Amino acid sequence: MLGRPRRSGALRQEAWLAWSLLSPALLVILFLVAYPFFSAIYLSLQDKMVGAPGRFVGLDNYLALFRDDVFLRTAWNSVLYTAVAVGLKFVLGLTMALILDQPRRFNNVFRTLLFVPWAVPVVIVALNWRWIFDDLSGFLNNFLITFHLTSDIISWLADPRLAMGCVIAVVVWAGTPLYSMTFLAGLQAIPRELYEAAELDGASTVQQFFFVTIPRLKTVFLTTVMLSTIWTATNLQFVLILTRGGPGSRTEIFPHLAYTTALGARRLGMGAAISLVFFPLLVVLIVLLTRRMLRPADE
Amino acid sequence: MARTTSRSQRLLKWVGNGLLAVLLVWTLLPFYWMIATSLKADREIYGFEATLYPHRPTLAAYGRLFRTTPFVKYVRNSTIIAVGNTLASLVLGCLGAYALARLRFPGRALIARGLVVTYLVPPALLFIPLFSVLSVLRLIDTHHGLILTYLSFSVPFSTWLLMGYFRSVPLELEEAALVDGCSRLGSLVRVILPMSLPALAVVTFFAFTQSWNESLYANVFVNSVEVRTITTGLSLFVVEDVFFWGPMMGASFLSTLPPLIMYLIFQRWVVKGLTLGAVKG
Repeated sequence: MLGRPRRSGALRQEAWLAWSLLSPALLVILFLVAYPFFSAIYLSLQDKMVGAPGRFVGLDNYLALFRDDVFLRTAWNSVLYTAVAVGLKFVLGLTMALILDQPRRFNNVFRTLLFVPWAVPVVIVALNWRWIFDDLSGFLNNFLITFHLTSDIISWLADPRLAMGCVIAVVVWAGTPLYSMTFLAGLQAIPRELYEAAELDGASTVQQFFFVTIPRLKTVFLTTVMLSTIWTATNLQFVLILTRGGPGSRTEIFPHLAYTTALGARRLGMGAAISLVFFPLLVVLIVLLTRRMLRPADE
Repeated sequence: MARTTSRSQRLLKWVGNGLLAVLLVWTLLPFYWMIATSLKADREIYGFEATLYPHRPTLAAYGRLFRTTPFVKYVRNSTIIAVGNTLASLVLGCLGAYALARLRFPGRALIARGLVVTYLVPPALLFIPLFSVLSVLRLIDTHHGLILTYLSFSVPFSTWLLMGYFRSVPLELEEAALVDGCSRLGSLVRVILPMSLPALAVVTFFAFTQSWNESLYANVFVNSVEVRTITTGLSLFVVEDVFFWGPMMGASFLSTLPPLIMYLIFQRWVVKGLTLGAVKG
């Protein structure tokens, strides 16, 4: 970039410098991401247990998965879990952003408070909520019984009808701030004149929202939802700590099933196959996002 | 017309205030329960006498935490790993980003793309084969092993973020330095870095908090107490399905503090980094 076209010797020198500056980062990518990724594919084609040599079995692992009831239920759970969690985070995040965009005293204090969950380690979020949901002494049952709202103990995480809802609630709690932060930044970047012009044209508050605000936020919406979908769909810590996929695999999702298969049952090949099955869906998101994130000027 | 607008505006304001109150309760309740639990004696935590707030606040749980658990050791390990990873990603990120932003060489666009893709590949896909990589390198159960694997997400992110920022530093400034006989690396350190402090702040924040908060790799690649980090150590306070909630909530509270304090300090820049579409969540 620097300078105009020069002698080829200078260019070669520049390229040499560039590669040497990049080499540590490239080594990291090659050995810690690219190589493991391809070896995951190779692993998924083998019948391999921890500590034993593998046997090449072609697509057998994948074929076996699609005949497996637990796997099929997991597939359905994963889709449901991701869609509902992302949807709720979106609605709640937008609500939060719109509220924080209203003029109000102490708004930056409220903003700081509402964004705090985002800084908390996932493990701590999950443990914390597990304790809130606790059957005998958790906050929820404790509260409901103290105020006579229920007479029975509710097993939040062990009840097949409630467990998935509870997991999603926790994921939404932890993930909403990402949405509200990006949406709020997007809202604040909308020029005031647009609203003034709309108002002069007689647009109501609702009309302004749908015809000025929403179109202006479209790119922010898309980027945030795609990023969050990747991370929501592949996070296994929440399920691992809250329910371990139970009761009766009601809350089993792909990343957790891969984890228990590879490290619990020690079937590395099968575990790799499970984690790769959902990858084609993510590839679409990754490709689209990469293009977005490399656009020179952002909004 | 004007009157209806102002009435609907006032209505919106009150709906907003009401929702804000609800959202604040929803967001802060877990923190309340965490801190309240850590200040209770066991009698108030469990069973029929469980209370909604500590009737007789006590620091006993914290005493137990420091005396009977390896909490301090975990915190030390987390600190070593988070600081090590932050320093390494700053250095590697700056060097790589400078090359991508300012130098001409074949393959530049491809590498920039590769970096972003790398950042987006989820750890859930990599932890199984990475385990074998670390075993071969004999890095299981070492601080180095964790620092190294955390580089796999912090280096692509920091390089990408800094690349965008370095590009926005005016070329003329650097050209002047180069004409004055400054080397490339010299101009990176003397011209570009001083103008990129906000981006360096964002990278510091993300590298530190992501390493501090990480738990999947920390769980899979570490077995010994000597290396275990706080996020995985916490779940070990569980003994045979019995949770020691008092000390556990105390530990949760204390180990949330470092990322929280970082967040409070770096808030201003972080939100900017976020709008670039760049955060795990």
